[in-house]
Amino acid sequence: MNYPIWEIWTIGGPFFIAVISILHVFVAHFAVGGGLFLVLTEIKARREQSPEMLAFTRRHAKFFMLLTMVFGNVTGVGIWFIIALVHPAATSILIHTFVFGWAIEWVFFVGEIVCLFVYFYTFEKMSSRDHLTVGWLYFVFAWLSLLVINGIVGFMLTPGTWAKSGDFWEGFLNPSFFPSLGFRTFLSLMIAGLFGFLTATRVSAPPVRDVLVRYTARWLYWPILALPVFAYWYLSVIPEGPGRMILGASPEMAPFVRAFLSLMPVLFVGGILMAVRLPFGLRQPLAWVLLFCGLAYMGSFEWIREGARRPFIIQGLMFSTGVLPSQEGEIQQQGMLATARWVREREPGPKNVEVQGKALFNLQCLPCHTVNGLYKDIIPLTKDWTYRGMVSQLTGQGRIKPYMPPFMGTEKEKEVLASFIAHTLHQRPKHEEKPFVFEEQPFDMPSFDPAPDACVLLAWNDLGMHCVSDNDRWFSILPPANTLEAVLIRRGETPEPVVEDVILTYRVESGFASPWKEVDFWEWAQKVYGRRLPEGTGLAGKGLEGEMVYDPKGKVYVAEKVPVVPYRDVNGRKMYNPYPLFTIEAKDRETGKLLARTEVVAPVSTEMGCRNCHGGPWRWNGISGISDETATNILRVHDRNSKTDLLKRAEKGEPLLCQGCHADPALNAQGRGDVLNLSAAMHGWHAVYMSGMEADACALCHPASLGGNTRCGRDIHTRLGISCVTCHGHMEDHSISLNKGENSKPQARSILAALEPQGSVPKEEIRARTPWVNEPDCLSCHEGFEKPVKESSGFNQWTEKGEDLYRMRFDETASLRCIACHGATHALYPAINPVSRDRDTIQPLQYGKMPYPIGSNETCTICHSEPMEDEAHHANMARAFRNVVQAEHQGPHDPGSRGIR
Amino acid sequence: MNPAGLIPSPDPIPVAWGWFHVLLLFTFVVHLLVMNTMLGSGIIALLSHLRGRSETRSDSEDISRTLPYAIAFAVNTGVAPLLFLQVLYGHLFYASSILMGVYWISIVGILILAYYSAYLYDFKYETLAGGRVFLIGLSVLIFLFIAFLFSNNLTLMLEPSRWEIYFERPEGTFLNLMEPTLLPRYLHFVVASVAVGGLFLAWMGHFKKAGDSRRNGLAQTERGLKWFSNATLIQLLVGFWFLLSLPDEVMTRFMGERLPDTLLFMAALTGVVLSLFFGFNSRLVPATLSLFGTVVLMALVRDLVRQAYLDPFFHVSSLRVVPQYSPLAVFLGCLVLGLFVVVWVLRLAAKAGKEGGR
Repeated sequence: MNYPIWEIWTIGGPFFIAVISILHVFVAHFAVGGGLFLVLTEIKARREQSPEMLAFTRRHAKFFMLLTMVFGNVTGVGIWFIIALVHPAATSILIHTFVFGWAIEWVFFVGEIVCLFVYFYTFEKMSSRDHLTVGWLYFVFAWLSLLVINGIVGFMLTPGTWAKSGDFWEGFLNPSFFPSLGFRTFLSLMIAGLFGFLTATRVSAPPVRDVLVRYTARWLYWPILALPVFAYWYLSVIPEGPGRMILGASPEMAPFVRAFLSLMPVLFVGGILMAVRLPFGLRQPLAWVLLFCGLAYMGSFEWIREGARRPFIIQGLMFSTGVLPSQEGEIQQQGMLATARWVREREPGPKNVEVQGKALFNLQCLPCHTVNGLYKDIIPLTKDWTYRGMVSQLTGQGRIKPYMPPFMGTEKEKEVLASFIAHTLHQRPKHEEKPFVFEEQPFDMPSFDPAPDACVLLAWNDLGMHCVSDNDRWFSILPPANTLEAVLIRRGETPEPVVEDVILTYRVESGFASPWKEVDFWEWAQKVYGRRLPEGTGLAGKGLEGEMVYDPKGKVYVAEKVPVVPYRDVNGRKMYNPYPLFTIEAKDRETGKLLARTEVVAPVSTEMGCRNCHGGPWRWNGISGISDETATNILRVHDRNSKTDLLKRAEKGEPLLCQGCHADPALNAQGRGDVLNLSAAMHGWHAVYMSGMEADACALCHPASLGGNTRCGRDIHTRLGISCVTCHGHMEDHSISLNKGENSKPQARSILAALEPQGSVPKEEIRARTPWVNEPDCLSCHEGFEKPVKESSGFNQWTEKGEDLYRMRFDETASLRCIACHGATHALYPAINPVSRDRDTIQPLQYGKMPYPIGSNETCTICHSEPMEDEAHHANMARAFRNVVQAEHQGPHDPGSRGIR
Repeated sequence: MNPAGLIPSPDPIPVAWGWFHVLLLFTFVVHLLVMNTMLGSGIIALLSHLRGRSETRSDSEDISRTLPYAIAFAVNTGVAPLLFLQVLYGHLFYASSILMGVYWISIVGILILAYYSAYLYDFKYETLAGGRVFLIGLSVLIFLFIAFLFSNNLTLMLEPSRWEIYFERPEGTFLNLMEPTLLPRYLHFVVASVAVGGLFLAWMGHFKKAGDSRRNGLAQTERGLKWFSNATLIQLLVGFWFLLSLPDEVMTRFMGERLPDTLLFMAALTGVVLSLFFGFNSRLVPATLSLFGTVVLMALVRDLVRQAYLDPFFHVSSLRVVPQYSPLAVFLGCLVLGLFVVVWVLRLAAKAGKEGGR
């Protein structure tokens, strides 16, 4: 922010730091432990009066000097160089805070250099007592320099109370100081042993060589025993966030943790092996192998230590981008381009995406990522996201996955950066999705002859829209399964529902009778649902035509889980139609006489908008459905975030039903107890990434988009401009209510922590709900069945039980379902259907010649033989229908464009 | 674009800026002398090889043995002023470093190469014979390149008005080549190194003991002083080039416009004159003392030049102080203790050298 960004896209600054630092610390720890090694070996040589051992000590000292003086010293300064180039802001804090720490360390370096030179160059010339003193002094200076740098490096992960006090000693003697010092001290002894092997295995005389190698082995296997103790102590003092990162929250860390844990026993065993008398030819190569194992061990330790700190460069105090958490508010307001110093174009605008997108990328992404580079390459990491997906990723960044900082900047800047990544880096074409154009698919309106004992047949789909995920090869959320219900009312003084001696049948219109040719549900039903189903038969045994069964509880005839799909094939011509018509007929059981006939829409859609963010085309003829590309992208992300192996399983031919793990009342699925229910999981997770939106958030996934191929909101509410949000709440609020219902699970708690409601109900007052059971209720706004007040909202006023849901409820006579006269949710009469205008209002037009609810405008005589005065079914029903003007004159809501994808 | 807008804001310092200023100047002078010795003796060794005269052969051989020490201490004594530079001027220094990032980080790798090359030159001096000129040549060339990069960085650090180049070249490949003072400044340091290297050679000759060595020692001292004197003469010319290449508002400070700056510069010039006088008259100790004095005074002049360049943008007195003096006290304590131990160890070594073994 304050400094220019060194634009090294391919190598990547952090990688550079890692290479220089790991090589340095490996040699530097040798410089410490090796000092003790030299002194103790010289003592041993003199005590055993072995000139060969003394000669070995001298040779080792020369090797030691050449490696640590040159490579060790220069790479140490090299770390200063590289960190100032890559993280200047953090380096400045460290330098200004710990200048005298480094100055003290420098004094010890002077001591080290002088002592080492003297130790080596006066080897045969100095008295043994003096020589050993010089050796000991070297070791003391070396260990003291380790002590100092240990404090400074540890500060970055555990700044402790320095955050409040700014006190040098509190920052230096921070919480991880002692466990880290212990760990590094014993590690340096072990590394001394590893390097010792290189020279010890080269001693020419076998007996001395054996003694020396076995002696050196002790430097390996004794110190190792102390390492797990200090490592555990170290882990116990680091803050919770980094601790969780190490223990699994970061998928990228896992291999390093595995390496760290597995190399400890490898080195231990290696040490034992070296102590055993191995044939000469094996010892030297084994020494090199162990050395590299040691380097890998040290490297994985340092990687874990640094990686656990993400997204911070100084834990809790400065992000890796050089931005302070306290600056977040200011930057969200004014923008990063306005706040950062080294930026030329400060106003975000469409012409400047290339320049400004790059500037934002350099400021926010480059501190950790590369482009087509060696490490954390942004290209494969973002290649599956569309532009919209990239915007979502930036919205949710750092809010639930802990290892990235939040995006810092205005909404506009977020879009610029997303465009830079999607359109410039990935060369994704920008295209506006045009509104879907429905093919005209006419139908014949059934007739009604109101003879005195005629029957009124009312039918509906239990839901206003049933969605189908149509790529079962990869996974299944919802099968083809529309449930049709019907009630047969015999007209008369007191109309009666007919419940016996009649047969109600259903039959789908032409072109929909062979759904198995369009979706792979039947191919995978055995694997996914555990049932082998004949083609065209649904999960309740019903086909595309058949007989309805009477349900005494719901007091309706039911055809359950009819497997219709929105893909129509008429003589080879494919048409998309999410509103297939079913003909319902009621016949006398004995005589077979037709008592009544009507038609009803079974709304079914495959417009699951996953591809809006997850990429990929539409599966079916470019119109609808989840494609292989979209499906595999979804599984890949799920595997990464939830540590599953869904993609591999599906590739092996074992796709899963989401509800196998995620409970769902809609499918009567119990799920797994340790996993969120499907609605809480889906909405909760995605709400983090889709915050700050209106109903456009809903329409990105659900088939509610006003320009989409379904437009499931067909009724008066949509036409009045009332969106999903008014009843269901904004995405965040919606998800909060669902996750409060799962509050006992840690996943729900972390989602709740990451979300803030957008609506007017404060977070503490949002009530928990179970999906499909606790839903918004009409009467929350339509109090007393009256016109609602303007600010009414259905949010947070949930139905208590399933029976209280609108679609399950009875009228005040307890014999007629609300849905029978008013139509299905989201398609309440009067509804306007996008395929053919009157598809959703067939029965009102058939019986009442008006598109309004059955019996509107006091047309009680549809069912009753005489006009009625009492409001027997519900209050406020005996009057003119209110929304006449809007219904007559308002056309289908202007779809508009769906925006850039 | 207003260059001042590009200057990053500095962080607060833990003690009054005067402490850091003194520490920076003091440790810089030490580093300068050691670094000059390293570079200068290396150049002399290389040139001696190239000239190929028999009497100068011992010069290269002697230098080969001391060069690894010189490098070790040049690097070590460089750490201290680098530390204090970052404290006072870090916000400027990091920006200029990033602008030339690729070159700057390459120093780490090539320095290791030069250092190992110098060790090979030392340990394999006899056995390599003809090959050793390549080793010393490699080391010297690398050192010369590193010095050039330092001159680039330290001049670029003073010129925020040139930092806009970042927007054309953000990959860290910019060298401040259009800077008029770059070449004379760089040459001024290189030639100074040859002078100090010559003085070092002269002292090496001085410490050669009785017998055959004594005669060679005297000749070596002569040669060393000749290197010293000639280099200092050339320094005078390069120095004036350097002075004249400075921007007017900086140069005039030392030519009468500001009294303290001018007096200091005059004093430094006096040091140069004395060095020349004693050098050409083969007076080793006075020449050395004059040289030390000149270096100290010239380092102070250099500091004033830096302040002059930065005058429109920044002065160290504007740094905010968040005081905590105990770490400074501990450092000074460690420094005194550490020096004691170092001196004691060196005395042990000297004793061992005289007694020659246990």
